[in-house]
Amino acid sequence: MDSPWDEEVSNESYNRESQWQKIASDFTNAGYRDGITAGKEGVLQEGFDSGFANTGAPLGREIGRIRGIASALLALLSKGSSIPHSPSTTNELRDISFKLSEIRFSDICPPDLEAEAHAREHMQAEGEELVMDSEELEDRKQVESLEDMLAGMSASGAGRGKPQRPSMDDFNVLKSRLEVVIGQMGLQIHLS
Amino acid sequence: MDEFDSLVNLEQTFFDAGYKDGHAHGRIHGLIEGRALGREKGYEMWEELGYYEGFASTWKAHLVFQGTEDGRITHHLNGLLELISQFPQVNPSVAQAEAGSEVDILKLLRNIRSKYKLLCASLGIRPRLHAADGSEAAQEPVDGAQVKSKKKKSIWEVNDGEGEDEEQSDRKQGQPQTLSF
Repeated sequence: MDSPWDEEVSNESYNRESQWQKIASDFTNAGYRDGITAGKEGVLQEGFDSGFANTGAPLGREIGRIRGIASALLALLSKGSSIPHSPSTTNELRDISFKLSEIRFSDICPPDLEAEAHAREHMQAEGEELVMDSEELEDRKQVESLEDMLAGMSASGAGRGKPQRPSMDDFNVLKSRLEVVIGQMGLQIHLS
Repeated sequence: MDEFDSLVNLEQTFFDAGYKDGHAHGRIHGLIEGRALGREKGYEMWEELGYYEGFASTWKAHLVFQGTEDGRITHHLNGLLELISQFPQVNPSVAQAEAGSEVDILKLLRNIRSKYKLLCASLGIRPRLHAADGSEAAQEPVDGAQVKSKKKKSIWEVNDGEGEDEEQSDRKQGQPQTLSF
């Protein structure tokens, strides 16, 4: 049988228990926050350097080089080079050049598998999507989506949804097309 | 007194346990975020340099093809290619630290840009738009450096600049905005 006395005991012990838990979680959380900041700051530079050297720089160099070659060839032809070429060569180069210029880093950047895996962990733990980009990268994404929107508006075709972004495969196709042109011209240029 | 001590110790124990977990989690986020920024900067920087490199190599190949490779233009081309080959493909601030202060990366970059423009001028070609447009060229790859130069730090140290202000305010609020947990 329940008596008021019993109830009081259980209430009191419940209060003590919850107070105890509150102290535990307050201090654990405070430690967690300090820890996450310190842990993050300690490795930002390390992450930056590895992203720069392992992904950004080599990829940028590859794309830049191809773009530079295409535009130099166009310039050569427009200056009336003695290289044998047909009018279609110029058109082909223009097309390659234009398509190259449309490629963005975000189109060809390989996925950061670790980041994706971690985002999934957050998703599972909290059921919400994780925003991991810094403000700067966030800004750029917004600019790019605005560009996409404008491109979609100016495109006359009605009902065109999200514009199709080029991929690394598309880049490689452009690269081999350029290689063909260089071969036709008889020049010795290394594409990479 | 003893009880008080043990309570303080207990609080510290909770704090430390939280700190340890947070630190491990923060490392993951720091590496991911740093990597994303570094990729972007490395790409910008080397896309520009790669462009000059491809451009100059092509022009050189053409001169070879024509058999007119000794001259002022060849001299310009070789100079430009030589400078680009000196440019580090790792984060310039790291390369700079390793090579000692003798290598001035920003100076090298300015040098490369002006050599490229000089080359274009002597070829009678309009230089690439984003390199010709000083504002964008200066802003794009170097903007990291500009933020930092106020603090007299070398290039691309992610620990200062924008990130720091953000993180300091985070610390004050005790709630990092860029991290959700």
